[in-house]
Amino acid sequence: MSADVTLHAVSKTFGTARAPALTGVSLQVSAGSCTAILGPSGSGKSTILRVIAGLDEVSGGLVLIDGADVAGVAAEKRGVGMVFQRPLLFPHLSVLDNVAFSQRVGGASRTESRRHARHFLDLVQLGDFGARSVQALSGGQEQRVAIARALAAAPGVLLLDEPFSALDPALREDMHELLDDIRQAVSPTIILVTHDRDEAAAVADQIAVLQGGDLLQHDTVDRLYNRPDSLRVSRLMGGLNEVAGVVEAGVHVSPIGRVPLSAGTPDGPGVLVIRHEAIEVSPCTEAEAPRSGVIGHVSRVRRYGPRRMVSVTFGDGVVLQAALPPGEAVRDGCRVALTLPPAAVCVVPLSAAPR
Amino acid sequence: MTPPVARTGRMRLPGDPGSTLTLSRGSGRLVRVVSTVLIAGWFLLPLAPLMVWAFANQWSFPALLPTEWGFEGLGSAIGQGALPALGASLTLSLVVAAIATPIGAMAARALTFGAVPWPRTVSVALLAPIALPPFAAVMGLNVLILRASIPPAAGLVLVLVVMAIPYTTFTMRVAYAAHDIRYEEEARILGASRWSVLWRVQLPLVAPALARAAFLAFLVGWSDYVVTVVVGGGEIVTLPLVTASLAAGIGNDAAVAILSLSAIVPPLALLALAGLAGRRPDRASSSAAPSIGERR
Repeated sequence: MSADVTLHAVSKTFGTARAPALTGVSLQVSAGSCTAILGPSGSGKSTILRVIAGLDEVSGGLVLIDGADVAGVAAEKRGVGMVFQRPLLFPHLSVLDNVAFSQRVGGASRTESRRHARHFLDLVQLGDFGARSVQALSGGQEQRVAIARALAAAPGVLLLDEPFSALDPALREDMHELLDDIRQAVSPTIILVTHDRDEAAAVADQIAVLQGGDLLQHDTVDRLYNRPDSLRVSRLMGGLNEVAGVVEAGVHVSPIGRVPLSAGTPDGPGVLVIRHEAIEVSPCTEAEAPRSGVIGHVSRVRRYGPRRMVSVTFGDGVVLQAALPPGEAVRDGCRVALTLPPAAVCVVPLSAAPR
Repeated sequence: MTPPVARTGRMRLPGDPGSTLTLSRGSGRLVRVVSTVLIAGWFLLPLAPLMVWAFANQWSFPALLPTEWGFEGLGSAIGQGALPALGASLTLSLVVAAIATPIGAMAARALTFGAVPWPRTVSVALLAPIALPPFAAVMGLNVLILRASIPPAAGLVLVLVVMAIPYTTFTMRVAYAAHDIRYEEEARILGASRWSVLWRVQLPLVAPALARAAFLAFLVGWSDYVVTVVVGGGEIVTLPLVTASLAAGIGNDAAVAILSLSAIVPPLALLALAGLAGRRPDRASSSAAPSIGERR
């Protein structure tokens, strides 16, 4: 019971707002997969979910669910489930009756709808909570019930609008595991909106990066981290290293040195980007640079979770950031060799936007 | 980024049930109890002479208490048409409440969710019936109603409904301001038709406010005198009319006391009912809080 979702050049403008919330967004999410829509606040993430759900009409473009244009199809007939950041459990109904709501409004008897609901409460591991009032639940439990309620309607597509952002980190990890369990049990197509790239990477197969109503890139998690299309995507994915230079015959030439690239990179000006986690830092050394490496001086070392983040300065004041493995450290001012594995190096077009 | 969150995952705020900040202790508690007793006394004291008068067959000056107890007042009140008047009052007030409450709710919803152009102007216009002296408005309206040959009973209901709508609208506006429209969006996504959303989600969520609004509208009809006299044209005789005409005479003190007391009972009974209807099985404060969230 999962459905393909396709957005074709969808745009949306709210009322008299000058800036459109979405501009020509095209997105394809295949049945049973999980895509995270990642972007800063106000980037139009939630608007995408609302137009898929039918809560807002598109201003232009098409929304297709399982290949069928759903323009004019009411929200209650789209076969889409949605969980908001607030659980929005109906306060006048018990936990079980909340989960049974979709069956009840669908015409099932009270007994039948409750029997159906129990199965979904079990699925979110709250089987014993049915008789409770929703006020007696904790934040994490509320969100579990909200998910069970959405799943009980047997949606082909499950939309999650920052459902875990109000939970503390430990609870959030529990919820990520729950999402995995749900995907195995009922495999709906999931589209999750988040502003947390770690969350996106933890739960999704693919990530769609959105900024200012533009869909910048929709790709696998690995490719978004290691093969961003643009500087904007690299920055939104938390990339710290950008070195402007020129590609000549498969080598990026810049003040930091000559960095070999993977095959197929076209010649011309371009910005080298590489994840700080992908750079290998040698101990203090007087040796020459390795084949796919460069030589610089450590200018700063700071703590970065369990690791240390090293700033390495090159001629012309270019700085590369590299994360050391946990427990390792280097001295300030030390001469080090950085290895930039070709598989992790990527060249993106120069962008006019200043950092 | 996130405010401090308890282990339950939900923020605790001062003023939440169970918060020690709202517990009264020591002298604060004493002040609270004393002031409660004083306020209760302020409301109940005027009732005491009424209670005594109601059952006084004879009470001549300077006796401290009635010189003869009995039920003559009751008989006299019934003889003056108290029972049909009570029925007329109840019917009129219930009809006013039944019409003004849904209209007020719809107006409040439209005003709250931005379906109305110039909401401020419209709000002021809605308030106008309260601000205008009723006598002035009613005298003018009465001419209109007579010219339009609207039957007095219908005209009376019409005018009282207009006077009740400000109360119902503003009561419901407060309720809708705290009402999260996403409950209804969630219900629709779960497959509920518009009718089901209204019946199974919206009405239960605003039910306590509806009860309050209906109570206020009931009171507008229940306590009205001027409109009933002028627009009703003597055709509809309600409890205030009978009470006033008896009070204007001499020697009817017991009957007036009986009528006044019986005028208190229905609103009190309704208040108790509304209080019961407004109570949720559990504390609902946490989920009834309005949320301010980004929309996109």
